[in-house]
Amino acid sequence: MRRAVLRRLVIGPLLDRRTVLVGISLIPVAALTVLVSVIVWISFRQLAGAAAGYSLDAYRELYLDPFTYKALLNTAVFSLITVAVALLFGIPAAWLVERTDLRPKEIPQTLMVLGLLIPSFLTGMGWVFLLNPRIGIINTLITGIPGMEWARINVATAPGMGIIQGLGLANVAFIMVSPTFRAMNPVFEEAAEVHGLRFFQTLHKVTLPLAYPGVLAAAIYIFMIGVAAFDIPAVIGLSNRVFTFSTFLYIQVQPLDGLPRHDLAGASAVLMICISLLFLCWYYRALKSSHRYAVVTGQSYRPRQVELGRWKPWAWAFLGGYFLLGQLLPLSMLVWNALLPYPQVPSLSALGHVSLNNFRALPIHQLLIGAQNTFILAVSVPTLTLLFSLGLSWVVVRSGFRSRFFFDVFSFLPHAVPHIIFAVSAAYVSIFLLSGFLPIYGTIYLLMAVYTLVWLSFATRNLNSALIQIHKELEEAAAVSGIPLLRILRKILLPLLGPALLNTWLWVALLTYRELTVASILATTRNITLPAAMWGIWLSGLYPKAAAAALLVVAVMVPLVFLYWYVGRRATAMERTL
Amino acid sequence: MIAIRNVTMKFHTKQGTVQALQGIDLQVERGEIFVLLGRSGSGKTTLLRCLAGLEKPDTGQISLAGKVVFSDCERIFVPPQERELGMVFQSYAIWPHLTVFENVALPLTQAKRKLSKQVVQDRVREALQLVQLEGLEKRPAPLLSGGQQQRVALARALAIKPQALLMDEPLSNLDARLREDVRSELRELVKKIGVTVLYVTHDQVEAMALADRTAMMDHGVILQVGHPQELYHQPVNVTVAEFFGSVNWLEGRITEAGVIKTEIGTLHADSASSVGSQVVIAIRPEDIQLSASPSGNANEFEGEIVSTTFLGDYSLYQVQTRTSKRILKKAMGSPIAPGKAYFQISKDRIRVFYNRELSSLSRKA
Ligand SMILES: Nc1ncnc2c1ncn2[C@@H]1O[C@H](COP(=O)(O)OP(=O)(O)O)[C@@H](O)[C@H]1O
Ligand SMILES: [Mg+2]
Repeated sequence: MRRAVLRRLVIGPLLDRRTVLVGISLIPVAALTVLVSVIVWISFRQLAGAAAGYSLDAYRELYLDPFTYKALLNTAVFSLITVAVALLFGIPAAWLVERTDLRPKEIPQTLMVLGLLIPSFLTGMGWVFLLNPRIGIINTLITGIPGMEWARINVATAPGMGIIQGLGLANVAFIMVSPTFRAMNPVFEEAAEVHGLRFFQTLHKVTLPLAYPGVLAAAIYIFMIGVAAFDIPAVIGLSNRVFTFSTFLYIQVQPLDGLPRHDLAGASAVLMICISLLFLCWYYRALKSSHRYAVVTGQSYRPRQVELGRWKPWAWAFLGGYFLLGQLLPLSMLVWNALLPYPQVPSLSALGHVSLNNFRALPIHQLLIGAQNTFILAVSVPTLTLLFSLGLSWVVVRSGFRSRFFFDVFSFLPHAVPHIIFAVSAAYVSIFLLSGFLPIYGTIYLLMAVYTLVWLSFATRNLNSALIQIHKELEEAAAVSGIPLLRILRKILLPLLGPALLNTWLWVALLTYRELTVASILATTRNITLPAAMWGIWLSGLYPKAAAAALLVVAVMVPLVFLYWYVGRRATAMERTL
Repeated sequence: MIAIRNVTMKFHTKQGTVQALQGIDLQVERGEIFVLLGRSGSGKTTLLRCLAGLEKPDTGQISLAGKVVFSDCERIFVPPQERELGMVFQSYAIWPHLTVFENVALPLTQAKRKLSKQVVQDRVREALQLVQLEGLEKRPAPLLSGGQQQRVALARALAIKPQALLMDEPLSNLDARLREDVRSELRELVKKIGVTVLYVTHDQVEAMALADRTAMMDHGVILQVGHPQELYHQPVNVTVAEFFGSVNWLEGRITEAGVIKTEIGTLHADSASSVGSQVVIAIRPEDIQLSASPSGNANEFEGEIVSTTFLGDYSLYQVQTRTSKRILKKAMGSPIAPGKAYFQISKDRIRVFYNRELSSLSRKA
């Protein structure tokens, strides 16, 4: 008895309940390590006949091929234009909402948040219907004018796709920059005005420079999204053979002809990881300095509101124009074309062709399987993600372990590394390494695992900031009064984290629901998801039918979005995470 | 009851290491109210948290009720859950998602103690009665005032019938008037229950009002342990003297046994220091007798009252001496008119310290 007590006391601190949480956190850390190591490993591995050898051949081939540089250039142009367009719309919108007397603010705010939830493959498709060189409605209109054939607009170029991606990411820019404007202390601007600077001088010399670090952080973040973006380059660029890095990687493992080149994919992925990590470091430096101007004052203040006066209609026109271009126009095009046998300019005669034929012709059986899988994933993935990120968050924020930094870095990896790389690596692992004893390839479990890993950063960062706000003494009070750790988690932490947990869960559910990047690599007939089924139809060139499928995806998503809107209302989850 | 032996603890931060505790030795007897006093940053909270098991010291040994709960050489560390302590946190740490009743009951129902529902009910009611919060059981925690939160925290800590009660500046979040009331109630209450209390504060008035014994802490070291009066009247060094109330400091040199030459003249005082050494002298304002005419006693000096501050229950005088040194004097009763005055210091109220502590003084001056 005494010895047992003694033993427990001695090894107590080593084997206490904290091990459970650390154990939970170690699972995703291990999985991420495996996936990243495998991608590096396959970049060196040559499959010549039966024997495998190791060499730098893939790197040589990659760097000697002019096509690589074309893709790199495309990626750079695409991402830069994405950033430019996103900031062009996002920053003025944020400024208008946060710092002017524009009322009601709730309308643009809500539309911006809801806009985040619109899958970018939808808007991409809409723009194809509008601006495709052959079938695009606008092009049909332009070329209908005699002598105007030269004015045909081709959206399937790096700048064209960049503009569309940028319109989609203006919401992210808006949500990231809003807090910067909101927290800005008006004394700086007031000081400028008292000393004689006029409105635009103040804006130019004081407001924007103060917002600069926050804007820079948003710009880098959006650039990283652009580099990793898959949906729009795939939907618009793939069929026109315009590649950015993600689609470049995609055709290496899913070539239209020939065998998959995993070694090349590995080498490209390694290059992409390096670039992403560089940008990640830059992003963090920018983020750090964005807190530099945070003004600590005892008293709370309300940012002063600029009176718009006669500029108000212009402000609304600007916001309305954005929503029209960014969402309304492409989405209505999608609906219009889903009802037509082939793309046509809206007209009375075209109205005669409207029917539900596209919907009837859809492969219902496949879509049902897809819907079922998507539904299972949309419930299980957020749950698993929350479980792991709760463990990670606790270790990072609360445990006080010296090794917590290591967990912090790993919890951020899925954020830094483009998701398609995890998918490619997971495909390789499940086909070539696990198939013997764990036939996970082609099952929904593979998707479940990879989805969980890729949303981990998002959920962990969300929970981290929620956990930091819960006073540590609330847990300590429970510990001192004798409540065991896991019960503290259940009785104190979970209820207090409740809103953050719910919010994160819903976000991950929505992200899972519309996910296409990972699914495009890992989905097969058995584990197909709704977006992947739609993607298959689009790839085979049946655009109106794909539009019909896409609308079905949205139709199922709408209730989820309303649930989110009802529960979350505000972009708290996003704001905390970015 | 509580025995702390040679406990040290460092914090590693980005800016470097902070030696928060450097060899603490402390004994708290059963049923005693022991107050740990010190400036903020002196390591009081850290010591309390080490006792509770919320921090793990680097070295030393801690035992509670005869049981070793921490020992670095025997590699023992009992987690906080098993130390059976009650603790009132500085922030009160009232769980905001629970009601008053649930806050007090949670440790009774969720910890290892197996208590029947009835016992839990009774214990919670009893604890809330002790802190005079009956009738507020159903109130959600966020709707409590600061004073009520403090009581709930106390009830929660007492309901588990702890071996000892740890309190970390429990009154610092209350406004001044409330603090005074609660202070006296608190002493009465814990004395009634008979629980051992280790109480942390930076307020010497609180220490004097509450403590059976008190320890003064600075830079992770305990400077002096004793009854509050002892620390007040016989401080072992300048830091302790300085911390307890205001002090008139004089510099001087011992010219012969019992005689010190100072800035304001020759003082007679008992001192252990040897002849010739430089010393500093501490005299509390209330130990100075002020009168309009000379009494002819020893240690009497002539000066002039340059200002009088009436503070209600006492008055504060600034007396200018011949050598332009100003001396503070506190007095009850009717004010003395400004002008020429004589002040006298009784020999046994003069504290003499070695001069090497002067550096710390001049820093404060
Ligand atoms: N978690 C911590 N990490 C780093 N340093 C700490 C930590 N907690 C306390 N310290 C440092 O230890 C010293 C003692 O702090 P503390 O015990 O809180 O003092 P007190 O309660 O007397 O104000 C301070 O210098 C403080 O900065
Ligand atoms: Mg403290």
